[in-house]
Amino acid sequence: MTNPYEILGVSPTASISEIKHAYRRLAKQYHPDLNPGDKAAEEKFKAIASAYALLGDEDKRKRYDAGEIDETGQERAQQHHYYRDFASSDQAHPYADASGFADFMNDEAFAELLRRSQQAQRNRRGQDLHYRMEIDFAESIAGANKRLTLPGGDVLDVTIPPGLLDGQVLRLKGKGAPGAGHGGAGDALIEITVLPDRRFTRNGDDISMELPISLSEAVLGGSVQVPTATGEVVMTLPKGSNTGTTLRLKGKGAPRRTGGYGDQFVKLKIVLPKSPDPDLEAFVASWEQGKSFNPREDGKL
Amino acid sequence: MKMTKQEFLLSSHLSLPTLDLYIEQRWIIPEQTSTGVTFSDMDVARVQLIQDLRVNIGANDEGIDIILHLIDQVHGLRYALAQVQKKP
Repeated sequence: MTNPYEILGVSPTASISEIKHAYRRLAKQYHPDLNPGDKAAEEKFKAIASAYALLGDEDKRKRYDAGEIDETGQERAQQHHYYRDFASSDQAHPYADASGFADFMNDEAFAELLRRSQQAQRNRRGQDLHYRMEIDFAESIAGANKRLTLPGGDVLDVTIPPGLLDGQVLRLKGKGAPGAGHGGAGDALIEITVLPDRRFTRNGDDISMELPISLSEAVLGGSVQVPTATGEVVMTLPKGSNTGTTLRLKGKGAPRRTGGYGDQFVKLKIVLPKSPDPDLEAFVASWEQGKSFNPREDGKL
Repeated sequence: MKMTKQEFLLSSHLSLPTLDLYIEQRWIIPEQTSTGVTFSDMDVARVQLIQDLRVNIGANDEGIDIILHLIDQVHGLRYALAQVQKKP
Protein backbone atom coordinates (compact mmCIF):
# COMPACT_ATOMS: atom_id res chain seq x y z
CA MET A 1 0.00 0.00 0.00
CA THR A 2 1.25 3.45 -0.84
CA ASN A 3 1.40 6.59 1.21
CA PRO A 4 -2.08 7.36 2.61
CA TYR A 5 -1.53 11.09 2.08
CA GLU A 6 -1.01 10.43 -1.61
CA ILE A 7 -4.05 8.18 -1.78
CA LEU A 8 -6.25 10.93 -0.40
CA GLY A 9 -4.36 13.54 -2.41
CA VAL A 10 -3.61 15.77 0.56
CA SER A 11 -0.38 17.18 1.89
CA PRO A 12 1.15 15.74 5.08
CA THR A 13 0.29 19.00 6.81
CA ALA A 14 -3.38 18.89 5.81
CA SER A 15 -5.92 19.69 8.53
CA ILE A 16 -8.42 17.11 9.72
CA SER A 17 -11.21 18.87 7.83
CA GLU A 18 -9.19 18.89 4.61
CA ILE A 19 -8.65 15.16 5.03
CA LYS A 20 -12.32 14.56 5.68
CA HIS A 21 -13.26 16.65 2.68
CA ALA A 22 -10.83 14.77 0.43
CA TYR A 23 -12.12 11.45 1.68
CA ARG A 24 -15.75 12.35 1.04
CA ARG A 25 -14.97 13.53 -2.46
CA LEU A 26 -13.11 10.32 -3.30
CA ALA A 27 -15.62 8.07 -1.54
CA LYS A 28 -18.40 9.54 -3.66
CA GLN A 29 -16.36 8.92 -6.74
CA TYR A 30 -15.22 5.37 -6.00
CA HIS A 31 -17.84 3.79 -3.74
CA PRO A 32 -18.37 0.35 -5.35
CA ASP A 33 -22.13 0.70 -5.08
CA LEU A 34 -21.98 3.95 -6.97
CA ASN A 35 -19.89 2.18 -9.65
CA PRO A 36 -21.64 -1.16 -10.05
CA GLY A 37 -19.70 -2.15 -13.14
CA ASP A 38 -16.22 -0.99 -12.26
CA LYS A 39 -14.22 -3.77 -10.63
CA ALA A 40 -11.28 -1.46 -9.98
CA ALA A 41 -13.47 0.86 -7.95
CA GLU A 42 -13.57 -1.63 -5.08
CA GLU A 43 -9.77 -1.72 -4.73
CA LYS A 44 -9.55 2.04 -4.94
CA PHE A 45 -12.33 2.50 -2.44
CA LYS A 46 -10.66 0.08 -0.02
CA ALA A 47 -7.42 2.00 -0.26
CA ILE A 48 -9.25 5.28 0.28
CA ALA A 49 -11.19 3.88 3.23
CA SER A 50 -8.11 2.52 4.97
CA ALA A 51 -6.15 5.69 4.29
CA TYR A 52 -8.97 7.60 5.92
CA ALA A 53 -9.17 5.15 8.80
CA LEU A 54 -5.56 6.05 9.46
CA LEU A 55 -5.50 9.80 8.80
CA GLY A 56 -9.04 10.54 9.95
CA ASP A 57 -8.14 9.38 13.44
CA GLU A 58 -5.85 11.93 15.03
CA ASP A 59 -4.24 9.41 17.34
CA LYS A 60 -3.50 6.90 14.60
CA ARG A 61 -2.31 9.66 12.30
CA LYS A 62 0.20 10.80 14.95
CA ARG A 63 1.50 7.27 15.35
CA TYR A 64 1.76 6.86 11.60
CA ASP A 65 3.62 10.17 11.24
CA ALA A 66 5.97 9.06 14.02
CA GLY A 67 6.60 5.80 12.19
CA GLU A 68 5.05 3.67 14.90
CA ILE A 69 2.63 1.94 12.58
CA ASP A 70 2.80 1.39 8.85
CA GLU A 71 0.13 2.07 6.26
CA THR A 72 -1.34 -1.37 6.61
CA GLY A 73 -1.17 -1.31 10.39
CA GLN A 74 -4.83 -0.50 10.62
CA GLU A 75 -5.99 -2.53 7.70
CA ARG A 76 -8.71 -4.78 8.93
CA ALA A 77 -8.94 -8.08 7.07
CA GLN A 78 -12.67 -7.81 7.17
CA GLN A 79 -14.67 -9.43 4.47
CA HIS A 80 -16.96 -6.91 3.00
CA HIS A 81 -19.91 -7.72 0.81
CA TYR A 82 -21.05 -4.72 -1.13
CA TYR A 83 -24.64 -4.30 -2.05
CA ARG A 84 -23.76 -4.63 -5.73
CA ASP A 85 -22.63 -8.21 -5.07
CA PHE A 86 -26.24 -9.06 -4.41
CA ALA A 87 -28.08 -6.63 -6.63
CA SER A 88 -26.23 -7.59 -9.80
CA SER A 89 -26.92 -11.29 -9.51
CA ASP A 90 -29.16 -13.03 -12.01
CA GLN A 91 -31.72 -13.76 -9.33
CA ALA A 92 -34.79 -11.61 -9.11
CA HIS A 93 -34.71 -9.65 -5.84
CA PRO A 94 -37.08 -7.29 -4.04
CA TYR A 95 -35.17 -4.13 -4.91
CA ALA A 96 -35.02 -4.78 -8.64
CA ASP A 97 -36.23 -1.76 -10.55
CA ALA A 98 -37.07 -1.92 -14.23
CA SER A 99 -38.17 1.69 -14.64
CA GLY A 100 -34.82 2.51 -16.24
CA PHE A 101 -35.91 0.72 -19.44
CA ALA A 102 -39.68 0.75 -19.18
CA ASP A 103 -39.81 2.80 -22.38
CA PHE A 104 -38.17 -0.06 -24.30
CA MET A 105 -41.26 -2.16 -23.67
CA ASN A 106 -42.21 -2.23 -27.38
CA ASP A 107 -39.20 -4.37 -28.10
CA GLU A 108 -40.04 -8.06 -27.63
CA ALA A 109 -36.77 -9.00 -26.02
CA PHE A 110 -36.97 -6.18 -23.53
CA ALA A 111 -40.60 -6.85 -22.80
CA GLU A 112 -39.62 -10.33 -21.69
CA LEU A 113 -36.83 -8.99 -19.50
CA LEU A 114 -39.12 -6.44 -17.98
CA ARG A 115 -41.61 -9.12 -17.08
CA ARG A 116 -38.91 -11.13 -15.38
CA SER A 117 -37.46 -8.34 -13.34
CA GLN A 118 -40.88 -7.15 -12.38
CA GLN A 119 -41.60 -10.59 -11.00
CA ALA A 120 -39.78 -9.57 -7.86
CA GLN A 121 -41.63 -6.29 -7.65
CA ARG A 122 -44.89 -8.13 -7.77
CA ASN A 123 -44.12 -9.40 -4.31
CA ARG A 124 -43.62 -6.05 -2.68
CA ARG A 125 -45.10 -5.44 0.73
CA GLY A 126 -47.80 -2.78 0.89
CA GLN A 127 -47.20 0.62 2.45
CA ASP A 128 -47.82 1.37 6.09
CA LEU A 129 -50.64 3.87 6.47
CA HIS A 130 -50.78 6.43 9.26
CA TYR A 131 -53.94 7.57 11.02
CA ARG A 132 -54.90 9.58 14.08
CA MET A 133 -57.69 8.85 16.50
CA GLU A 134 -59.12 10.55 19.59
CA ILE A 135 -60.42 8.63 22.57
CA ASP A 136 -61.78 9.92 25.85
CA PHE A 137 -60.06 9.53 29.18
CA ALA A 138 -62.22 6.66 30.44
CA GLU A 139 -61.55 4.68 27.24
CA SER A 140 -57.81 5.18 27.67
CA ILE A 141 -57.96 3.59 31.12
CA ALA A 142 -60.53 0.84 30.63
CA GLY A 143 -59.83 0.06 27.00
CA ALA A 144 -62.48 0.14 24.29
CA ASN A 145 -63.48 -1.12 20.89
CA LYS A 146 -63.56 1.73 18.43
CA ARG A 147 -64.29 2.05 14.78
CA LEU A 148 -62.21 4.29 12.55
CA THR A 149 -63.69 5.46 9.26
CA LEU A 150 -60.96 5.78 6.67
CA PRO A 151 -60.83 8.51 4.01
CA GLY A 152 -61.87 5.97 1.40
CA GLY A 153 -65.02 5.07 3.33
CA ASP A 154 -63.71 1.77 4.67
CA VAL A 155 -63.90 1.15 8.37
CA LEU A 156 -61.22 -0.21 10.64
CA ASP A 157 -62.05 -1.86 13.95
CA VAL A 158 -59.56 -0.76 16.55
CA THR A 159 -59.19 -2.41 19.92
CA ILE A 160 -57.89 0.09 22.46
CA PRO A 161 -55.93 -1.80 25.10
CA PRO A 162 -56.53 -0.68 28.70
CA GLY A 163 -54.07 1.87 30.09
CA LEU A 164 -53.11 3.50 26.80
CA LEU A 165 -51.15 6.75 27.08
CA ASP A 166 -51.64 9.91 25.06
CA GLY A 167 -49.51 9.80 21.90
CA GLN A 168 -49.08 6.04 21.80
CA VAL A 169 -49.19 4.40 18.38
CA LEU A 170 -51.16 1.24 17.72
CA ARG A 171 -50.03 -1.04 14.91
CA LEU A 172 -52.68 -3.06 13.13
CA LYS A 173 -50.83 -5.75 11.24
CA GLY A 174 -51.82 -6.10 7.62
CA LYS A 175 -54.35 -3.23 7.71
CA GLY A 176 -52.24 -0.87 5.62
CA ALA A 177 -52.09 -0.62 1.86
CA PRO A 178 -52.35 -3.93 0.03
CA GLY A 179 -49.09 -5.45 -1.13
CA ALA A 180 -48.37 -7.01 -4.47
CA GLY A 181 -48.27 -10.76 -5.03
CA HIS A 182 -47.06 -12.55 -1.95
CA GLY A 183 -45.72 -9.32 -0.48
CA GLY A 184 -48.53 -8.94 2.02
CA ALA A 185 -50.29 -5.75 3.06
CA GLY A 186 -48.60 -3.00 5.08
CA ASP A 187 -49.68 -2.06 8.57
CA ALA A 188 -52.03 0.62 9.80
CA LEU A 189 -50.33 2.85 12.38
CA ILE A 190 -52.80 4.74 14.54
CA GLU A 191 -51.62 7.54 16.77
CA ILE A 192 -53.93 7.91 19.74
CA THR A 193 -54.80 11.24 21.31
CA VAL A 194 -56.38 10.96 24.75
CA LEU A 195 -58.84 13.82 25.28
CA PRO A 196 -58.38 15.47 28.68
CA ASP A 197 -61.07 14.96 31.32
CA ARG A 198 -61.58 17.92 33.66
CA ARG A 199 -62.15 15.58 36.60
CA PHE A 200 -59.13 13.31 36.27
CA THR A 201 -55.37 13.73 35.99
CA ARG A 202 -53.17 10.78 35.18
CA ASN A 203 -49.80 10.35 36.89
CA GLY A 204 -48.23 7.21 35.49
CA ASP A 205 -50.52 4.40 36.51
CA ASP A 206 -52.28 6.48 39.17
CA ILE A 207 -55.18 8.84 38.69
CA SER A 208 -55.84 11.85 40.86
CA MET A 209 -59.03 13.86 41.22
CA GLU A 210 -60.59 16.48 43.48
CA LEU A 211 -63.87 15.62 45.20
CA PRO A 212 -66.10 18.39 46.60
CA ILE A 213 -67.79 17.38 49.89
CA SER A 214 -70.28 19.17 52.09
CA LEU A 215 -69.54 20.47 55.57
CA SER A 216 -71.70 17.81 57.19
CA GLU A 217 -69.99 15.02 55.20
CA ALA A 218 -66.67 16.43 56.34
CA VAL A 219 -67.61 16.65 59.98
CA LEU A 220 -69.75 13.54 60.36
CA GLY A 221 -68.20 11.29 57.72
CA GLY A 222 -70.34 8.93 55.64
CA SER A 223 -70.59 7.30 52.23
CA VAL A 224 -70.12 9.28 49.02
CA GLN A 225 -70.33 8.35 45.35
CA VAL A 226 -67.01 8.90 43.57
CA PRO A 227 -66.60 8.82 39.80
CA THR A 228 -63.74 6.68 38.49
CA ALA A 229 -62.63 5.95 34.96
CA THR A 230 -64.47 2.64 35.16
CA GLY A 231 -67.70 3.91 36.74
CA GLU A 232 -68.96 5.21 40.07
CA VAL A 233 -67.87 3.61 43.31
CA VAL A 234 -68.90 4.24 46.93
CA MET A 235 -66.22 5.59 49.21
CA THR A 236 -66.44 5.93 53.00
CA LEU A 237 -65.41 9.31 54.37
CA PRO A 238 -63.97 9.14 57.87
CA LYS A 239 -65.28 11.59 60.46
CA GLY A 240 -63.44 14.90 60.45
CA SER A 241 -62.26 14.73 56.82
CA ASN A 242 -60.61 18.01 55.90
CA THR A 243 -59.98 19.95 52.70
CA GLY A 244 -56.72 18.59 51.30
CA THR A 245 -57.14 15.15 52.87
CA THR A 246 -56.31 12.58 50.20
CA LEU A 247 -57.96 9.18 50.21
CA ARG A 248 -56.87 6.26 48.10
CA LEU A 249 -59.13 4.01 46.04
CA LYS A 250 -56.94 0.98 45.60
CA GLY A 251 -56.81 -0.55 42.15
CA LYS A 252 -58.94 2.13 40.47
CA GLY A 253 -56.06 3.50 38.39
CA ALA A 254 -54.66 2.36 35.06
CA PRO A 255 -53.34 -1.18 34.54
CA ARG A 256 -49.66 -1.55 35.38
CA ARG A 257 -47.24 -3.10 32.91
CA THR A 258 -46.03 -5.34 35.68
CA GLY A 259 -49.54 -6.56 36.44
CA GLY A 260 -52.19 -5.17 38.76
CA TYR A 261 -53.57 -1.66 38.70
CA GLY A 262 -52.60 1.80 39.87
CA ASP A 263 -54.69 3.68 42.41
CA GLN A 264 -57.05 6.61 42.29
CA PHE A 265 -56.21 9.39 44.72
CA VAL A 266 -59.17 11.48 45.84
CA LYS A 267 -58.34 14.89 47.29
CA LEU A 268 -61.18 16.31 49.34
CA LYS A 269 -62.44 19.90 49.17
CA ILE A 270 -65.06 21.18 51.57
CA VAL A 271 -67.70 23.34 49.87
CA LEU A 272 -70.16 25.44 51.86
CA PRO A 273 -73.74 25.92 50.63
CA LYS A 274 -74.01 28.61 47.98
CA SER A 275 -76.52 30.77 49.83
CA PRO A 276 -75.79 31.75 53.45
CA ASP A 277 -77.70 29.55 55.88
CA PRO A 278 -79.09 31.30 58.99
CA ASP A 279 -79.08 28.06 61.04
CA LEU A 280 -75.44 27.38 60.23
CA GLU A 281 -74.53 30.97 61.10
CA ALA A 282 -76.39 30.74 64.41
CA PHE A 283 -74.71 27.44 65.23
CA VAL A 284 -71.20 28.62 64.42
CA ALA A 285 -71.79 31.84 66.41
CA SER A 286 -72.75 29.80 69.46
CA TRP A 287 -69.92 27.24 68.99
CA GLU A 288 -67.43 28.12 71.72
CA GLN A 289 -64.54 25.88 70.69
CA GLY A 290 -64.67 27.11 67.12
CA LYS A 291 -63.75 30.58 68.34
CA SER A 292 -60.62 29.45 70.13
CA PHE A 293 -59.29 27.24 67.28
CA ASN A 294 -56.82 29.13 65.06
CA PRO A 295 -55.64 27.13 62.02
CA ARG A 296 -52.87 29.71 61.42
CA GLU A 297 -51.28 29.04 64.78
CA ASP A 298 -48.95 26.21 63.82
CA GLY A 299 -46.34 28.58 62.45
CA LYS A 300 -47.04 27.98 58.78
CA LEU A 301 -48.12 31.55 58.19
CA MET B 1 -29.65 -16.84 5.12
CA LYS B 2 -32.85 -15.57 6.62
CA MET B 3 -32.59 -13.49 9.78
CA THR B 4 -35.08 -12.37 12.37
CA LYS B 5 -35.26 -8.67 13.21
CA GLN B 6 -33.09 -9.27 16.29
CA GLU B 7 -30.44 -11.17 14.35
CA PHE B 8 -30.52 -8.55 11.65
CA LEU B 9 -29.93 -5.74 14.15
CA LEU B 10 -26.86 -7.60 15.41
CA SER B 11 -25.30 -8.29 12.04
CA SER B 12 -26.08 -4.86 10.59
CA HIS B 13 -25.00 -2.96 13.75
CA LEU B 14 -28.11 -0.83 13.53
CA SER B 15 -30.18 0.50 16.40
CA LEU B 16 -33.84 -0.43 16.42
CA PRO B 17 -35.06 3.17 15.78
CA THR B 18 -32.67 3.48 12.83
CA LEU B 19 -33.85 0.21 11.34
CA ASP B 20 -37.48 1.24 11.85
CA LEU B 21 -36.70 4.50 10.06
CA TYR B 22 -35.14 2.64 7.13
CA ILE B 23 -38.14 0.34 6.88
CA GLU B 24 -40.49 3.31 7.14
CA GLN B 25 -38.58 5.07 4.36
CA ARG B 26 -38.88 1.83 2.37
CA TRP B 27 -35.11 1.74 1.93
CA ILE B 28 -35.17 -1.72 3.46
CA ILE B 29 -38.09 -3.98 2.68
CA PRO B 30 -38.08 -7.05 4.90
CA GLU B 31 -39.85 -10.16 3.72
CA GLN B 32 -43.21 -10.85 5.33
CA THR B 33 -43.69 -14.40 6.52
CA SER B 34 -46.25 -16.09 8.71
CA THR B 35 -43.83 -15.89 11.64
CA GLY B 36 -43.04 -12.18 11.17
CA VAL B 37 -40.53 -10.26 9.09
CA THR B 38 -37.24 -11.76 7.94
CA PHE B 39 -34.13 -10.16 6.51
CA SER B 40 -31.50 -11.40 4.08
CA ASP B 41 -27.75 -10.96 3.62
CA MET B 42 -28.67 -8.64 0.79
CA ASP B 43 -30.46 -6.40 3.28
CA VAL B 44 -27.29 -6.33 5.44
CA ALA B 45 -25.27 -5.18 2.44
CA ARG B 46 -27.93 -2.62 1.56
CA VAL B 47 -27.85 -1.24 5.11
CA GLN B 48 -24.05 -0.99 4.80
CA LEU B 49 -24.49 1.05 1.64
CA ILE B 50 -27.06 3.33 3.33
CA GLN B 51 -24.71 3.79 6.30
CA ASP B 52 -21.84 4.65 3.93
CA LEU B 53 -24.03 7.21 2.21
CA ARG B 54 -25.43 8.73 5.39
CA VAL B 55 -22.45 8.63 7.73
CA ASN B 56 -19.30 8.60 5.61
CA ILE B 57 -20.33 10.44 2.49
CA GLY B 58 -22.76 12.76 4.23
CA ALA B 59 -25.81 12.36 1.97
CA ASN B 60 -29.05 13.56 3.53
CA ASP B 61 -32.21 11.45 3.63
CA GLU B 62 -33.72 12.96 0.49
CA GLY B 63 -30.46 12.32 -1.31
CA ILE B 64 -30.45 8.70 -0.16
CA ASP B 65 -33.94 8.24 -1.56
CA ILE B 66 -32.75 9.40 -4.96
CA ILE B 67 -29.45 7.50 -4.85
CA LEU B 68 -31.09 4.19 -3.92
CA HIS B 69 -33.72 4.62 -6.60
CA LEU B 70 -31.08 5.29 -9.24
CA ILE B 71 -28.85 2.43 -8.07
CA ASP B 72 -31.80 0.06 -8.25
CA GLN B 73 -32.47 1.25 -11.78
CA VAL B 74 -28.83 0.84 -12.76
CA HIS B 75 -28.91 -2.74 -11.55
CA GLY B 76 -32.13 -3.31 -13.47
CA LEU B 77 -30.43 -2.00 -16.60
CA ARG B 78 -27.28 -4.02 -16.00
CA TYR B 79 -29.40 -7.13 -15.61
CA ALA B 80 -31.24 -6.35 -18.84
CA LEU B 81 -27.98 -5.76 -20.67
CA ALA B 82 -26.50 -8.99 -19.35
CA GLN B 83 -29.54 -10.88 -20.63
CA VAL B 84 -29.22 -9.26 -24.05
CA GLN B 85 -25.56 -10.20 -24.14
CA LYS B 86 -26.38 -13.85 -23.43
CA LYS B 87 -28.76 -14.09 -26.38
CA PRO B 88 -27.16 -15.38 -29.58
